[in-house]
Amino acid sequence: MASQSREQPVGRSGSSDAVADERDDEVDARARRATAPPAISVEGLSKTFGSGPDAVTAVNDVSFTVERGSVVGLLGPNGAGKTTTIKSILGMVLPDEGSVRIRGIDVHANPRQAYRHVDAMLEGARNDYWRLTVRENLRYFSTISGVDPNAVADRHESLLAQLDLAGRADTPVRDLSRGMKQKVSLASVLATDADVVFLDEPTLGLDVESSLTLRRELRRIVAERGLTVVLSSHDMDVIEDVCDRVVIMSDGQVIADDSVTSLLGGFDTHGYRIRGQDFDEQTVAAIRERFEVTEVERFDGRVHVEVATDSAGFYELTDLLEAHGVTLDAVNTVEPDLEEAFLEMTGGGAR
Amino acid sequence: MSSPDPTVPPGDAGGESAEAGYYHLAKAVLYREYLIFVRYPANAVGAIVVSLIFFGLLFYGGRMLAGQALTDSLEGIVVGYFLWTLSVGAYSSVSNDIRSDVSWGTLERHFMTPFGFAPVAFAKGVAKVVRTFLTSTVVLAVMLLVTGTTLALPVVTILVVATFTILSVMGLGFAAGGLSVLYKRIGNWLNLLQFGFVVLISAPAFELSWTEFLPLVHGSALLQRAMRDGTRIWEFSPADLALLVGVAAVYVVAGYAVFHYASRRARRLGVLGDY
Repeated sequence: MASQSREQPVGRSGSSDAVADERDDEVDARARRATAPPAISVEGLSKTFGSGPDAVTAVNDVSFTVERGSVVGLLGPNGAGKTTTIKSILGMVLPDEGSVRIRGIDVHANPRQAYRHVDAMLEGARNDYWRLTVRENLRYFSTISGVDPNAVADRHESLLAQLDLAGRADTPVRDLSRGMKQKVSLASVLATDADVVFLDEPTLGLDVESSLTLRRELRRIVAERGLTVVLSSHDMDVIEDVCDRVVIMSDGQVIADDSVTSLLGGFDTHGYRIRGQDFDEQTVAAIRERFEVTEVERFDGRVHVEVATDSAGFYELTDLLEAHGVTLDAVNTVEPDLEEAFLEMTGGGAR
Repeated sequence: MSSPDPTVPPGDAGGESAEAGYYHLAKAVLYREYLIFVRYPANAVGAIVVSLIFFGLLFYGGRMLAGQALTDSLEGIVVGYFLWTLSVGAYSSVSNDIRSDVSWGTLERHFMTPFGFAPVAFAKGVAKVVRTFLTSTVVLAVMLLVTGTTLALPVVTILVVATFTILSVMGLGFAAGGLSVLYKRIGNWLNLLQFGFVVLISAPAFELSWTEFLPLVHGSALLQRAMRDGTRIWEFSPADLALLVGVAAVYVVAGYAVFHYASRRARRLGVLGDY
């Protein structure tokens, strides 16, 4: 945290002091940010289970860093090595090679020190005790994580309010709905003093509305507290919505590590959706002859055609339409989403 | 996403609240045990009833078969049965609790603690032992009423001797918990060991001196002296007390070592927490 006491320089007073102090604090913070070790640093992580012909290399020379305060999505098809990577980072799997540091602390050499900064939601709603009430879970797991629950009581109350659990705070978790149980799991992780949080499928099994609420509150809490989050999910909407960056794994290796925007930017516009009048069958047939048509829809005398092509192809398409006397009403690009990018990079998606 | 407060570097927000010490840990696990005890009394009552039914079968069945012979050794049976219920509670408290966390999904969170996995497991075990003391005391009271037996009840002596005696069993529980982490569904096999406690509790410690180094044996003999003869703790010889403490320490350390090795092996194999 920024220094609370500071010598008062002569000749400074009032608001100019406050502005100067603020500027100094910001400079201090930037300097600390620049010199502080990253939240997570994984280097050359490898793990093979079994031996001989039955040996399975789950993780093969994986390296990446996660800067403090960022939210990173870990993606990959089943068997890509995500779980082994996460468990190795958390010290639950001993890697054959490589090192893992959390805020510069070697997790395998000094686990107790590292665990002051880490918590994880790995088992969805079964991450806490259902026979205890919501509030009791928050207090219990805060203590287990090394924090006096009385010192973070205010945080607990605000978490309960933010996740819409305040009204059920004294209800045993077993009596709550699936969505609420999931929220309690998340709350019990965020209730601790951890600033590096792992969330495995935090929205699994939630309905659309609950998922949206949880994502919104997660974004808000993460931003408010400057938490570092590693999030694993099969729901690409969650990843796109919450994460700054995505690490994609396949066959035990990292195959992409970039911001969501950059990852999508690496893919050309997938196609164009054209709405026009005076489309006849001949025109549609001519388009089909030269382009990949993914959709044709007719209504109210108009035709919607979706064509998969790049920008060069688009100009050819407009020439063709002009030659056939088509009047264009609207043209929209069809952008790739993270799911398509993921499928293309991993060569087919979930196995 | 970054912190809206520029003076707080991202990721510096945590780790600053008042730290919890072992006192807080002990309080948290004891309080959780208390909550479950009062919120779900059927479990505790069920355990007491089952223990008493078992004792009833032993007492009335034995009296039909052995008659006066059983009545003559009744004090010893009551003390032994009291220690057996304590031992079973202590043993299963550690091993079953770890097994339950493994199967439920909460083991990882108890593993990722700055206190260390073993101290947390030990604290949880102690909390369950406290509960077992309460239920075993009820069982003892009912046994005394049903059989009409009179025993000396030097509370401090009983507490100290019984605690050190069952510490050795907690060591076995630790070892069993470690094996559960490693091999998972072996609970039924591990529970069989509880019947072996009967042999240890009734072993003739004073005739076969080597048996004193086994768990329960020496402690059981001292507890018999305390409850049947009214011997107070300061009346035991230093050698007796040293052996009591020594056996407890050796089995706890050995159990901890097995637990530690098994957890490490489970991490090496990638099966920690998998069920």
